[in-house]
Amino acid sequence: MDGKVKEQKRHQQKHSGPKAEKKKLRKQGGTTEEDGRRRNPKAFAVQSAVRMAKTFHRAQDIKAKKHHIPLVDRTPLEPPPIVIVVVGPPKVGKSTLIRCLIKNFTRQKLGDICGPVTIVSGKKRRLTFMECNNDINTMIDLAKVADLVLMLIDASFGFEMETFEFLNICQVHGFPRIMGVLTHLDAFKNNKTLRKTKKNLKHRFWTEVYQGAKLFYLSGMVYGEYQTQEVKNLGRFISVMKFRPLVWQTSHPYVLVDRMEDLTDPEKVRTDPKCDRTVSLYGYLRGTYLKNKGQVHIPGVGDFQVADVNFLPDPCSLPDAQKKRALNEKERLLYAPMAGVGGVVYDKDAVYIDLPANHVNQQQEEVRPTTELVQSLIDTHATLDAKMAASKVSLFSGSAFLDPTDIDEQSGENGGLQEKHVWDPNIQRKRRKVVFNEDDGEEEESGSSDDEDDADSDQEEQEEDEDEDEDNLSTFLKEARAKSDGTPPVKKKKLEEGKEEMPVFADSEDELEMSEEEREAGRTGDSGHCSEEDEEDDEESGDESMEEEEDAANATLTKQTASESEEEEEEEEEEGALRWKEGLQQKASEAFLRQQEAAPNLRKLVYGSVAEAADSEDEEEELGGLFRVSRPQNSKKFQANALDCSRFNPDTSHDWDLEEMLNSIRDCFVTGKWDENQDAATLLKEDEELYGDFEDLETGEVHKGQTGNQDPAEQDSENDEADDDDDEAEESQVKVDDEQVQKNKRLEKKRRLKERFNAEYDDEDATYFDDLKEEMQKQAELNRAEFEDVDDETRVQYEGFRPGMYVRLEISSIPCEFVTNFDPHYPIILGGLSSGEGNVGYLQMRLKKHRWHSRILKTRDPLILSLGWRRFQTIPLYHIEDHNGRHRLLKYTPQHMHCGASIWGPVTPQGTGFLAVQSVTGTKANFRIAATGVILDLDKSVTIVKKLKLIGYPYKIFKNTSFVKGMFNTVLEVAKFEGASVRTVSGVRGQIKKALSTPPGAYRATFEDRLLMSDIVFLRSWYPVSVPQLYNPVTSLLLPVGQKDSWEGMRTVGQLKHDLGIRNKPNTDSLYKPVVRAQRRFNPLHIPKELQKALPFKSKPKQQQPQGKTPKDLQRPSVIREPQERKVAALLNALSTVHHHKKKKAHTVKHAKHKEFLQQKEKQEEAKLKRQKEARKKLYRVMGQMDQKKQRSSLKGAPQDD
Amino acid sequence: MASHGLTYDGCNFFRQRLVLSTLSGKRVKIKNIRSKDDDPGLRDFEASFIRLLDKVTNGSRIEINQTGTVLFYQPGLLHGGPIEHDCNTQRSIGYYLEALLMLAPFMKTSLKATLRGVTNDPSDPTVDLLKSTALPVMKKFGIDGDGFELKVLKRGMAPGGGGEVVFTCPVRRTIRPVQLTDPGKIKRIRGVAYSVRVSPQMANRIVESARGVLNQFIPDIYIHTDHMKGPNSGKSPGFGLTLVAETLNGSFLSAEMASTPQGQGDPILPEDLGRNCAKLLLEEVYR
Repeated sequence: MDGKVKEQKRHQQKHSGPKAEKKKLRKQGGTTEEDGRRRNPKAFAVQSAVRMAKTFHRAQDIKAKKHHIPLVDRTPLEPPPIVIVVVGPPKVGKSTLIRCLIKNFTRQKLGDICGPVTIVSGKKRRLTFMECNNDINTMIDLAKVADLVLMLIDASFGFEMETFEFLNICQVHGFPRIMGVLTHLDAFKNNKTLRKTKKNLKHRFWTEVYQGAKLFYLSGMVYGEYQTQEVKNLGRFISVMKFRPLVWQTSHPYVLVDRMEDLTDPEKVRTDPKCDRTVSLYGYLRGTYLKNKGQVHIPGVGDFQVADVNFLPDPCSLPDAQKKRALNEKERLLYAPMAGVGGVVYDKDAVYIDLPANHVNQQQEEVRPTTELVQSLIDTHATLDAKMAASKVSLFSGSAFLDPTDIDEQSGENGGLQEKHVWDPNIQRKRRKVVFNEDDGEEEESGSSDDEDDADSDQEEQEEDEDEDEDNLSTFLKEARAKSDGTPPVKKKKLEEGKEEMPVFADSEDELEMSEEEREAGRTGDSGHCSEEDEEDDEESGDESMEEEEDAANATLTKQTASESEEEEEEEEEEGALRWKEGLQQKASEAFLRQQEAAPNLRKLVYGSVAEAADSEDEEEELGGLFRVSRPQNSKKFQANALDCSRFNPDTSHDWDLEEMLNSIRDCFVTGKWDENQDAATLLKEDEELYGDFEDLETGEVHKGQTGNQDPAEQDSENDEADDDDDEAEESQVKVDDEQVQKNKRLEKKRRLKERFNAEYDDEDATYFDDLKEEMQKQAELNRAEFEDVDDETRVQYEGFRPGMYVRLEISSIPCEFVTNFDPHYPIILGGLSSGEGNVGYLQMRLKKHRWHSRILKTRDPLILSLGWRRFQTIPLYHIEDHNGRHRLLKYTPQHMHCGASIWGPVTPQGTGFLAVQSVTGTKANFRIAATGVILDLDKSVTIVKKLKLIGYPYKIFKNTSFVKGMFNTVLEVAKFEGASVRTVSGVRGQIKKALSTPPGAYRATFEDRLLMSDIVFLRSWYPVSVPQLYNPVTSLLLPVGQKDSWEGMRTVGQLKHDLGIRNKPNTDSLYKPVVRAQRRFNPLHIPKELQKALPFKSKPKQQQPQGKTPKDLQRPSVIREPQERKVAALLNALSTVHHHKKKKAHTVKHAKHKEFLQQKEKQEEAKLKRQKEARKKLYRVMGQMDQKKQRSSLKGAPQDD
Repeated sequence: MASHGLTYDGCNFFRQRLVLSTLSGKRVKIKNIRSKDDDPGLRDFEASFIRLLDKVTNGSRIEINQTGTVLFYQPGLLHGGPIEHDCNTQRSIGYYLEALLMLAPFMKTSLKATLRGVTNDPSDPTVDLLKSTALPVMKKFGIDGDGFELKVLKRGMAPGGGGEVVFTCPVRRTIRPVQLTDPGKIKRIRGVAYSVRVSPQMANRIVESARGVLNQFIPDIYIHTDHMKGPNSGKSPGFGLTLVAETLNGSFLSAEMASTPQGQGDPILPEDLGRNCAKLLLEEVYR
């Protein structure tokens, strides 16, 4: 601290002497370990072979521990943004930290952190920040998608429960990177306590995460922000951090949704505000590849089928040029639609421009288009071309201020997020065609006309009182039509005509051709999100559908020609309408066409060859696969029920007796002619100078094709020559004259030499592990190369959506509460489910009550589990495995031990971890995580049993046989248990023999010993317990805003009783009662007469008969004294009393005297003893002195004494 | 749950549909099974196949309507373990075995299936063929080990059956990706000529004639003769030949032929059978 006070002595480097020389030598690289070994071989000699072996063993162990099973690297080239979850108890500074980091990376200030915020942090890295609130639902969900967790800890307070809860959640669901951040460090005034606290917190943090885990310190706040330098350092840590792949995350696709749009038909919402909604969710795809039409789970909502997936241009793309070191200001993008940031938002078929409020307010139509266009051009970072090609752009401009009111009318509940976007009713529907509405006035008109249409239709509805369905149909059709055309004025007039016809065509048959076409167009409009079955239906219909599916967007049910002409017309009209920027429009239309070509039918791509095969009436085509039958065929019925046989019967038209035929396949055999670079002879020759080509690029089939074209004569001659190797070699050499070939060969030779070199020098320490790694590397390269130069549209069809893409998922029939109660602070996660994970079945798991949870868990008490993506409530049965493999039901979980648990829940792969909480409502003081565990087994049946003792009573006992009743009720029941072993309470074992006819249910049993009538016979049996089929997903996201953490599912019996005030009637036998004891009466002792006689008189019972009345003669007369005698008696009595008194007095006096005497005597004795003791003491002292003297003198030798 | 099933018409690709449904966990509904036929509904062999599926899975739900024209199948979990199945004699064991080959590596416990029925018949791939082609191909995918084998204990020819086959397969969690774009050149031809309840000489005659055709291409031909006697010979007489050509890259081309079942159609001479079978192999090579 006070370094200035004591100036320490500088280190003096030696320039001469042995040390300096040694150092110089070392610098030159003279003495190394080898040298030392040579100089002093004894020191390095093997002292003990065992020790040596141990050392080697240990070294190898450490080496082997470092190995992981190599996996094929499937990370995409452009990875998705890293999800950084900021966790911590409330008021610890989470939002501040995110704000500071965002400011650090993008130089932008963000107000409210609402939903995920994606930023570009570096040339190759993007980050998505997400704040995690204190709700356990959010914590669980975010722990599953996090790549990095910033765990904020209030140092002035210490650790809080939330921190530990989150850590435990992370441990269960795969451990993401965790970095602790200590805040509120400025609360410490004393430097020493600060240091101590830091150290304590750090060590506690290490025990939870791992030794040496990074804990970052944010010392204090400056103007409500953390110190810039510290934030910068933290940002650097984040941007260089490496991540480990987590099993669950890498095996499942998932999307952290950063934008949500409600696509439901506003009309439908108006008529039924509670109707199921269609929403589109946007976000970066993470994890693995996502298949279209797959199943997803949204934690907090439920399972859904994805209606459609599209990829959109990246709203927050990485910079293109990689030359520069740092990003420039424009490349530091920020994308947070939920927080209302990121000016332009792209949809599949539209672009939303978020204008500041002042822009919207100026309603001059001349000014606005320019601002918008300019802004859109400024704000877009990809080139316009690229965007056009990727998304069918249509700029909606005018309707911005028009429509919010419209929407509000139709769906009053739409709040929150939606207000931030520019709305248009047209957007609520998916479109298949490109619409260019650059001209604002027209857009205006179209919007208003749409409104009019709506009004029209409403009126018509009221007038005509049509069915609901028809209404829906008509509105649907109308909208589809409105979208299907480009809304130029001419077209619109036509449309309106069609509209007037509308109600008619719903019923009548004479439709206009026009409207029919449009209806078809409309119907195709939703072909994108029809289910698989629908698709098949589509394909069945019409022979031409095959052709038409080339342009999937426009696949119509009618003749193609009509629709094509229609299209052309439209395009022409569009061109007429769009004056300015013609090049742009042209490009866009080209792009559109290109895209249509590039998006072929998947089925056709995959099974294209099959379709051809099917045409060629070859029925037993083995490639036929699954989808063949649904293909429209003339002879469909015949096909559909064909013989299911994999054997291929070739048409035996070839006559294999002919020599030509034989020759045609001769080269397929090793004895046949080889390719010039494969032939053994040429190879041998080449090998001398250049190592021949082993790699075979030409397939045998191709080769065969070539030979087939050759004329047989030449082949024959060649075959003749085949015996003579040298000749052929020469011939092949002659053939190779071409320079190109020579060059290739040289290159080949070089490559081969290099390979050989590598093989020679690298293989020495190549292990199995290295080989495996190399193999994986090769596979990864192959995987990457496979689709490298295919455009995204096709690629998506083949391999699914790549992680890292920005996707838009459309989900239909989501509960309306999801939209109405939308809260951007809560994360929406779309977790993809792999095959089979959508099913529900019985799961066996290993479970342990968390050691920090205060209570044990009870069987059949509902528990909320977090498993896979899901959070759900279920009823577990706890069990333990007996020594014989039986699963015995437990009433409660053990305190500190693992036990088994069986639930009815979603099928999840084995080895997946889970955690359990008892309730997700609110925050309790104690630890919320009740148990953790792992899935052991999935099964469709359960094998838990509980013990059941059947009790019976013997009613007739012969020697070892007894008749037992009361155990069963019928003969049939007994028959089922014949041969079963029974036991009595006293331990006598037996066996059930046969049922007795009466009483019903009684049986004969034999025992190893005779029973007593008082015995109880019991039969131990095991009764299978069924797991209750409760699977109740936690729908916390559907709860109203502000109450999302108050989800309550099924209550436990205890809770129910508590809430309803029900108390169980206790068993009356178990109650305490006042003890009433009866008076004991003993019978008189009766001694037999014989015994009495034998007894001595002393022991004989005395005749103590009640005396009754003595007879008069035996009664003694009572004495009546004379007065004289009475006087004498009184006197004597008095005298004797006096005498007694005197005597007593004398006695007490005597006693006292004697006591005194005794005391005196004792004193004397004591004195005497004391005296004697002193005398003895004196004597002993004298004796001791004498003794000492004597000893001393004897030690001295005492010559003079003697 | 929201997993929508697939619906199909007709009994074509019956096995593929059920097997893929089992592997993917999606439920399947097949309608109009031979609904216009004289004998509508599922055949016995298909019912037997469903029963086999039920044996290897746990918790699958199968609903068939009264006429057997509609089948609903909700797959359970693939369980495996030791199973025994009496296959219907209308189709050979190969019919059942092909499906099991697809399912076996993905079971929970390793499969040991004992299948009884017709081992060889002219319509389906025989057990020998599967043994010599399908198994090596599966080995390429990383499914190997000691437990992976197919044994023919008894041979039963077409109408009567009475054969017995044991198929064991270990469990593999992952299968290796395979690069097999080039079939390569044929390096050897192997085969099995079998005969039951006929003269053992039949097999030798088949071998002779087959070699006669194939010897012009490659000398490395070895065809076993397999004559089964007594209780191992099934219930009907018959003979046949299975030929497999192995290429340098480890792919297999095969052809086979069996004698026409007793009492059905014209009998065939063993020489003709051998020659025709060899030609079939050539045809296969030509393709």
